[in-house]
Amino acid sequence: MSTVNQGLLLDLLSVAILLLTFACLGSKLFDRYVAYYALQSIVLSVAIALVALRLDAWDLWALALLTFLIKGIGIPIATRRYLIVRLELKRDVAISTGISTSLIIGAVLTAFAYFATNPSSLPGGLVASSSVPLSNAVILLGALCMVVRRNTVAQLIGWLILENGVFLGAITLVATFPFIVEAGIFLDLVAGVLIMLTLVSGLAHRLATTNASELQELRE
Amino acid sequence: MTLTLVILVCCLPLAGALASILGAQARGIGIATAAGGAGALAAAIALVAHILSHGTYQAAVGFVYVDPLSSFFVVTVAIVVALAGLGSISYLCAEEAHRGLSRVQVRLYGIFFGFFAALMLASLETGNLGLVWVLVEASTLASAVLVAIEGRATSLEAAWKYIIISSFGVTIALVGTLFLYYSASVLDIVPDQRLTWPILFANAASLQPASVKFALLLAIIGYGTKVGLAPMHTWLPDAHAEAPSPASAMLSAALLNTGMYAIIRFQALTGPQLGRYGSVVLLVFGFASIAIGALFMVRRRNFKRLFAYSSVEHMGIIAVGLGFGGVLGVYGALLHTLNHAIGKCTLFLASGEVVLRYRTTLVSEVGGILGRAPVIGTVMLLGSLAILGSPPFGLFLSEFTIVRAGFVRQASLGFLLLALLALAFIGCAHTVAAMVLGKPRNETPPAAASLRSVGAVPLVIGLAALLLLGLWIPGDLNTLILKSIEAIR
Repeated sequence: MSTVNQGLLLDLLSVAILLLTFACLGSKLFDRYVAYYALQSIVLSVAIALVALRLDAWDLWALALLTFLIKGIGIPIATRRYLIVRLELKRDVAISTGISTSLIIGAVLTAFAYFATNPSSLPGGLVASSSVPLSNAVILLGALCMVVRRNTVAQLIGWLILENGVFLGAITLVATFPFIVEAGIFLDLVAGVLIMLTLVSGLAHRLATTNASELQELRE
Repeated sequence: MTLTLVILVCCLPLAGALASILGAQARGIGIATAAGGAGALAAAIALVAHILSHGTYQAAVGFVYVDPLSSFFVVTVAIVVALAGLGSISYLCAEEAHRGLSRVQVRLYGIFFGFFAALMLASLETGNLGLVWVLVEASTLASAVLVAIEGRATSLEAAWKYIIISSFGVTIALVGTLFLYYSASVLDIVPDQRLTWPILFANAASLQPASVKFALLLAIIGYGTKVGLAPMHTWLPDAHAEAPSPASAMLSAALLNTGMYAIIRFQALTGPQLGRYGSVVLLVFGFASIAIGALFMVRRRNFKRLFAYSSVEHMGIIAVGLGFGGVLGVYGALLHTLNHAIGKCTLFLASGEVVLRYRTTLVSEVGGILGRAPVIGTVMLLGSLAILGSPPFGLFLSEFTIVRAGFVRQASLGFLLLALLALAFIGCAHTVAAMVLGKPRNETPPAAASLRSVGAVPLVIGLAALLLLGLWIPGDLNTLILKSIEAIR
């Protein structure tokens, strides 16, 4: 495949990742959150594989495989089984803004990401320059998910989306990150998800709720 | 030789974790934790001596890197680990006797306490900023388990808030690290070295300017969340109040410092490109933190929250010291880091002893500690005076240095700092005096039988060290701080 086509494909994959983030932002069902996240992670792993093909780097191949197995399959299944099914979560009612409002805010944030990291201000060394503002938009939208959703499970998904945005930025901006650091980041992510899963189920057990808005005993 | 010391420093704290995995009792886990901490401190002091005489140590393409600045932070954190390890003995024994913690919880405490300490110390011994990020985030995760360990609804809530806000913040710092890596792509070095601090520092003037600025801002906001700089401090009071007291001591006196260490490293890289830009950002966040900390210290009802807000204030003071800059400002900031670490560690351990006796963290239910437990009452009173910056304790000296640096930079900022410090003094002293000196209000007899006098040991050591640092700064410490400043200029 020619370099131009690869760059174009990478841009398209980045756009797909952004659209899946918007889909998650516009949904109200816990099942969908997880499904969109899983799909997004799989698209991300394809994007990483594309960069690996281009740079012919074994550690990126390993990263693509890890992303597919852990983010695309492992984390979604664990979240589904241990939180959504066991706690019988269906509709997310604890959203502080309406869906349309959060979509509009999301659009504004995406525009902001484009202005803040204009591809032309970051010359040289880029695999696909238009992926950088897209990845920043995904980071901002993940943060938005965490802010407007008050349910702890939804906040967890928001953080995972944000992390995907960081990875998208990482492979396009700095494809040759030291492998030991990449592996460490991945390990942290897995450990973090495990601890968060335990915390959420502990909270659900104690309070019979997973809504962070009802966590207010510590207010003083 | 040096490598052995480096490894010892970050592996010895795992002794407590090992004892837990092997199935020791609470007492055994406590003693192993304390011994591991003491061993780490001894190794850290030997490491400092070695660095002072032989200069910076570097191995494995900068993945292991110890210069005077990192050895200064290593020894500060090791002191806290040693004191909090000692404090763990009485905490674990009392909680086991009182049935506050199950056997599994005691073991989890031992394991995660050990890993928390080891990861923090390791994060200070690497020169690769990506690895720094990995280790800082890992230590956040380990400490979140400690916050939740008592299993109450409130502690789970605090742990959730802590982990979600901190992970979010630290992820921002990761984006900053990515931009820093990108900014180094203009340099003619192998990709693996683009996050190696000494190499970046040597080439700081030729990094790509736009992304260096991004990197600095994102790092200050991201690691600032860890440090507890306002307005990113909201997780801090909850986590500090809900964690077991030795863990609160570690959070406040050690973890916050590792975040500040990362910020110092980033700021040092941006000097040649951005000039005083980083200092101004630090001044803004620093003054905001002092103001928020001081205001929220007024009329606090929970004494552990009171000390937590005091940590926000002190991190602000350190940031302001770094922001004022110059040898004087940075000297004050580093000295203040050490003093605050010892002081706040002592205070949290003392409040842990109070909690074990009164079974409450509410100021209104504690009164007249001095009559019931003279040693703890004295430490609480003198420790609070010390942390508020009264002479003759160490914090007076370091705050004074920072204020002086402020007057050198701009007199109005110096006055502002003084006014905020006075406000903090009034807010905090009022509450602590009522607790220590007031009439005893709790009629139930304290469960003194299960308490051991070993709990007083770290308190007395900490207070003595604070007093010593107020009266006399050892020559080697002075050299170490001056060399640390040199390393980042």
